[in-house]
Amino acid sequence: MKRIEALAVLAELSRRHPVVVTCAATSRELAAVRDSDNHFYLLDAMGLVGSVATGLALGLNPDRPKVVGIEGDGSLLMNPNVLPTGGYLAPANLLLVLLDNGIYGSTGELPTYSSHIDLEALAAAAGWTTRSTATADGLRATFTELLDVEKPAFLHVRIEPGNAPDVAKLLLDPVSLRDRFARWLRDEHLVTAVKA
Amino acid sequence: MTYAKAVADGIWAANAVKVGYIPSVTVAPVIKALVATDGGGNGVSSRVTPLSREEEAVGVMGAFALTGALGAIVMQDNGFGNALTALATFPTSYHLPLLIFANARGGLGEYNSMIHSISQPVPAILRAVGVPVFELDRRHSIDAWRDTVCEAGVHAVMTHRPVVVLGSFWNTDGMVA
Repeated sequence: MKRIEALAVLAELSRRHPVVVTCAATSRELAAVRDSDNHFYLLDAMGLVGSVATGLALGLNPDRPKVVGIEGDGSLLMNPNVLPTGGYLAPANLLLVLLDNGIYGSTGELPTYSSHIDLEALAAAAGWTTRSTATADGLRATFTELLDVEKPAFLHVRIEPGNAPDVAKLLLDPVSLRDRFARWLRDEHLVTAVKA
Repeated sequence: MTYAKAVADGIWAANAVKVGYIPSVTVAPVIKALVATDGGGNGVSSRVTPLSREEEAVGVMGAFALTGALGAIVMQDNGFGNALTALATFPTSYHLPLLIFANARGGLGEYNSMIHSISQPVPAILRAVGVPVFELDRRHSIDAWRDTVCEAGVHAVMTHRPVVVLGSFWNTDGMVA
């Protein structure tokens, strides 16, 4: 399964969820598959998906659809602190999906540690409920299963290396992304505008 | 009233809903005051939590603005080297309010022979990336510390960006390090 195929599945599964997406090729490919107001693209904040998703989960009503983070192996390894922090803070409404292709797909396809380091085991050791898969059907099944877990959930998805060809760069103003995402949260999660 | 309690009171008065901290001996009294006023103990309460690194704190606490609330960070100024990319690419770029109080190191009363290498340029570094900085020290009253921290939080919300308050505890009732 290529990354864009996994993202096509995730785009369908996460329509009602706040989705925090890692930068570069992953954001571009998700936007190409299906751009949506519930997608919060981190255009350049590599390594922050788990942190932002954790903060978002802590700030939202846990009875609403879970916050979904879509992260890459290289980005997670840039800030692996998110695993112990998520396990410690333990928001029940957090699902982190790791798309692991073993390389830095957006930066020259150089290898990450993931061929040697078991990232799912790291998450499990930090207190996350974990599952793994490498197929589209498995992704649907495990994603759905983890939605019922009442603790931080981690889905390790093995994907093939390679970026989808001819996908346009995301040239969006981050402020416009914030506005549309915050508006979607206000409508769907009943949060209010920040007040002084 | 102590300077540390004034900082804690200012953070709550700014309507911060959650405070993440990265420990230092200088801000420990601030953290203890935050926890005590929130009914917790041993460094943790319902609204106060430890975090393991500064850029992570920017991500976790900055995300609260997306939910319509204000997050806050308590840290030491030498951690801004860790936090700079996260600050620039997340709350600054997305125009998200975030209140940060950091104790200042590397100045008067400093014992460490190298920490000034990062701490002294911190105000200039932050201003260079567009993060407003308000500085407090022994010349400001305890009330001014509380009011400045509170108003910095209001300023963050009103101007849609992270705002930093740097406090030097030298010659106050606190400690430098």
